[in-house]
Amino acid sequence: MAWQLIVQARARKDGTFHRRQWLRMVGTGAALSPMLGWADFVATRADELKKRNKQCILLWMQGGPSQFETWDPKPRHANGGSTKAISTQVPGVHIAEHLPQLAKQMHRLAVIRTVSSREGSHPRATALMHTSYLPTPTVKYPSFGAVVAQQLPNPECELPPVVQIGRQGTVAVGAGFLGMEYAPFVVPQAGQPPQNSQILTSASRFRRRLGLLEELEEEFAKEAPQLVQTHRQLYRKTARMILSPQMEAFDLSQEPDSVRRQYGQGNFANGCLLARRLVERGVPFVEVSLPGWDTHSDNFQRTPQLCRQLDQPFAALLEDLDRRGLLERTLVIWMGEFGRTPRINPRSGRDHFPRAFSVALAGAGIRGGVVIGRTSADGVTIEDRPVSVADLFRTFCRALEIDADHEYMTPIGRPIKIVDGGQAVEELFG
Amino acid sequence: MHRWQAFWTAAILALGSLTLQAAQPPNPAVVARQVDQLLQEELPELSSVAQGRCDDATFLRRVYLDLVGRAPTADEISWFLLDTSPDKRRQVVAELLNSPEYGQHWAGYWRDVVFYRASDPRARVGVESFERFMAEALNRNVSWDKIATEIITATGDVRQRGATGLILAQMGDAELIAAEVSRIFLGIQVQCAQCHDHPTDRWRRQQFHELAAFFPRTKIRPMRTAQGRTFVVFSLERPVRGRRRLRWRLEHYMPDLNNPQAEGTLMRPKFFLTGRSLPPGTPDLVRRRTLAQWITSPRNRWFAKAFVNRMWYELVGRGFYEPVDDLGPDRKPVAPRTLNRLCRGFIDSGYNIKWLMAVICTTEAYQRALGPQDSAQQVAFASGTATRLHADQVWQVLRDLLQPVAGISPRRNTPAGRARLVAAARRQFRQIFGFDPSTPADEVQGSIPQALFLMNNPFLQRVMSARPGTMLGQLLREFPDNEPAVRELYLRVLSREPKPSEMEKALAYIHQVGDRAEAFEDLLWALVNSTEFLHRR
Repeated sequence: MAWQLIVQARARKDGTFHRRQWLRMVGTGAALSPMLGWADFVATRADELKKRNKQCILLWMQGGPSQFETWDPKPRHANGGSTKAISTQVPGVHIAEHLPQLAKQMHRLAVIRTVSSREGSHPRATALMHTSYLPTPTVKYPSFGAVVAQQLPNPECELPPVVQIGRQGTVAVGAGFLGMEYAPFVVPQAGQPPQNSQILTSASRFRRRLGLLEELEEEFAKEAPQLVQTHRQLYRKTARMILSPQMEAFDLSQEPDSVRRQYGQGNFANGCLLARRLVERGVPFVEVSLPGWDTHSDNFQRTPQLCRQLDQPFAALLEDLDRRGLLERTLVIWMGEFGRTPRINPRSGRDHFPRAFSVALAGAGIRGGVVIGRTSADGVTIEDRPVSVADLFRTFCRALEIDADHEYMTPIGRPIKIVDGGQAVEELFG
Repeated sequence: MHRWQAFWTAAILALGSLTLQAAQPPNPAVVARQVDQLLQEELPELSSVAQGRCDDATFLRRVYLDLVGRAPTADEISWFLLDTSPDKRRQVVAELLNSPEYGQHWAGYWRDVVFYRASDPRARVGVESFERFMAEALNRNVSWDKIATEIITATGDVRQRGATGLILAQMGDAELIAAEVSRIFLGIQVQCAQCHDHPTDRWRRQQFHELAAFFPRTKIRPMRTAQGRTFVVFSLERPVRGRRRLRWRLEHYMPDLNNPQAEGTLMRPKFFLTGRSLPPGTPDLVRRRTLAQWITSPRNRWFAKAFVNRMWYELVGRGFYEPVDDLGPDRKPVAPRTLNRLCRGFIDSGYNIKWLMAVICTTEAYQRALGPQDSAQQVAFASGTATRLHADQVWQVLRDLLQPVAGISPRRNTPAGRARLVAAARRQFRQIFGFDPSTPADEVQGSIPQALFLMNNPFLQRVMSARPGTMLGQLLREFPDNEPAVRELYLRVLSREPKPSEMEKALAYIHQVGDRAEAFEDLLWALVNSTEFLHRR
């Protein structure tokens, strides 16, 4: 009886259950029959899922990119430094000279120049911009990627639902209370197969081993049926993944030269190309990181270099997604922890500045060619249309058709909304 | 009985002055019997559904993993099975508690409790010293109130003074420290009231901020030393101005929710469980020592309850309260009188940790066999519970199993280089297999990277091969016949003999494959990838 109470307490607001709870609900007998579980559970909701299979790519600019050298140049003010502005595909919209390819993609992009937060430390801001919450020791908030994967599952996809490309920075924001199922699958370097994903025996011997494992587990399954069942599912899922033809997504050499040339060279370029290949195969959430934006010194050498690594691949990604009809259902987010100070410090660097910074979006119904908000001529204050972090995440949810008010129950029984407060930036839609 | 006395005399002598003040703790076996009896009274269904004792091999693996974080060796199992002493289970518990591996293992546990909640990854610099501090304290059996007091009142270089770990993990933030002190030492999640009054508990927002008011002067600053970057925890007794505004204040202010820019309301340091308070202006260490005193006072039942519940949960597999760090105030434990008995004993023992461990491991509740059904659907404590091994345990078990002959990469063969390599591998391993030990067991799941690691990791595969020089290669040479070889392999990997059906399947498999080495490699692979291998049962 106590157990039933626990199950009920953990039931979601919309009446669905988490997989493990659901399995327990139907009882051990059903749980024992092979593969009855997630797939069937999902199948019952398949129609619903077909309607909302949007996906998301996050281009994470680790370190905090300068808004002045990217989306919000201030060529007429000392704070703008030597950075010039260039015109774009969209009349009247100017961005920094370091992003010429993206200027040509401006009709696909929306830029918010007035995102504002109060968090200026890397780890805390990384957590904030990945979860919409400030970190606390008591609640492990799930990353937005985990939320997307949990809200927009794709039963046909045999790859992990959250893939993170590039080494994790000092802060790894995981799935938090949503559990390991939605933990990011880290691919340290695009172009190389994921760690431990290659079987070292023949496929037939590998299958034979799996068969032996299942057979030998039968004894322990009598003692701990639930554990063995969960373990078997994980192993089936993992084996299905590494034996899946979808794994070829990780092999970039399959792309024609013309496409590889379009994306250009470098880790970030490979990451963007891999992101497209993963999204194509139905992975709900992919994060590609480009580190190095923490330009406390030599901002005017380092940021242009970073922009060169960014410009072509990002532009190619947008064009490529659009060409394949993926852009209309894929939200692409470009952002970092915060922006950088308008004041140029004595080492020609810019320091952390969360008060007013830029975020760029594309796809999934976001109107292209739009600029939201205006910062002052010196870049210090917001003159029009401040956008909070909660507003921003509401906007992501709106684009992805996720209910931002959906409540999760944490292990200590505290209800947590996907986004607490805020309003979506309506001007970006319709 | 006399064995216990000898053990406690030795233990107490080893403890020195810290625990000498405590009276001779009550005999663990006697208290364990009382605990079982009380459980029976509180949960009458137990008499009809409770499982009997698990067999000796299962008990041995269980108690080794629980107390010293590794599996018994094949030899240790054989000796234990041959031992005819009726007292042998209690004896092995006492021996393990006296082994230095005990402190090492549990220090890893507490490291995870504290650092999984770190709000800043730079806190990593203090992980090792915290682990050293805990290992040393646990092995000396420093009492829990002393350990808690040291942690709450710690100052100094975090690389030297391991007790600073909790403050470091929360980077000297008064509110976060208060939240963690309450969560870990009292099992109370008072910080839920940080932003608003708690929806279900009765703590008020102000009470949380009054607790935070014990820590506004506890500060931390980065420092460079010859050994590299570190942090120093210190007491701030004068205000410090930043570039423009007051950077550090000496008192804690509760923020005004409607106006976050405003100064907020000045908070007096006040302990929400007793209502006792200190005046504003009290120096940092006086605040912290006073709070530590109030928290660890025998009159404060929450302190003992949080610890007893945590240890019981970790050892028995189910808690009186779950999750282990959320006890109330308005939650009911599964068996309140049993819990009270344990708490009273723990307090009377002078918060003697080894004593508590000995009691729990001596109860029948601890020794039960796994149930035929899932534990979750059963009466609480009616059967043993299989729980997932912590990362350190899996690492240790794998190492012990495969190490005797497995060489580390030959490129770096200096001892220091090898140690660095092992440390790096271990960290990586922890990243893949680690989990926060305060997470409820049913929320702890396996992951794809874990499965991939055990299935395919090239290094692991190499040391699991049957080539000469590996564990398996040697085993196959020592046991030319298949049946004894299978038996030995089961003993080494799962610490038990194969069941007849398993032996049959294994032999059939070997026959079917034809190539003996290949078949045994597959068998080892299957056992290492099994559910049982990754669990303590």
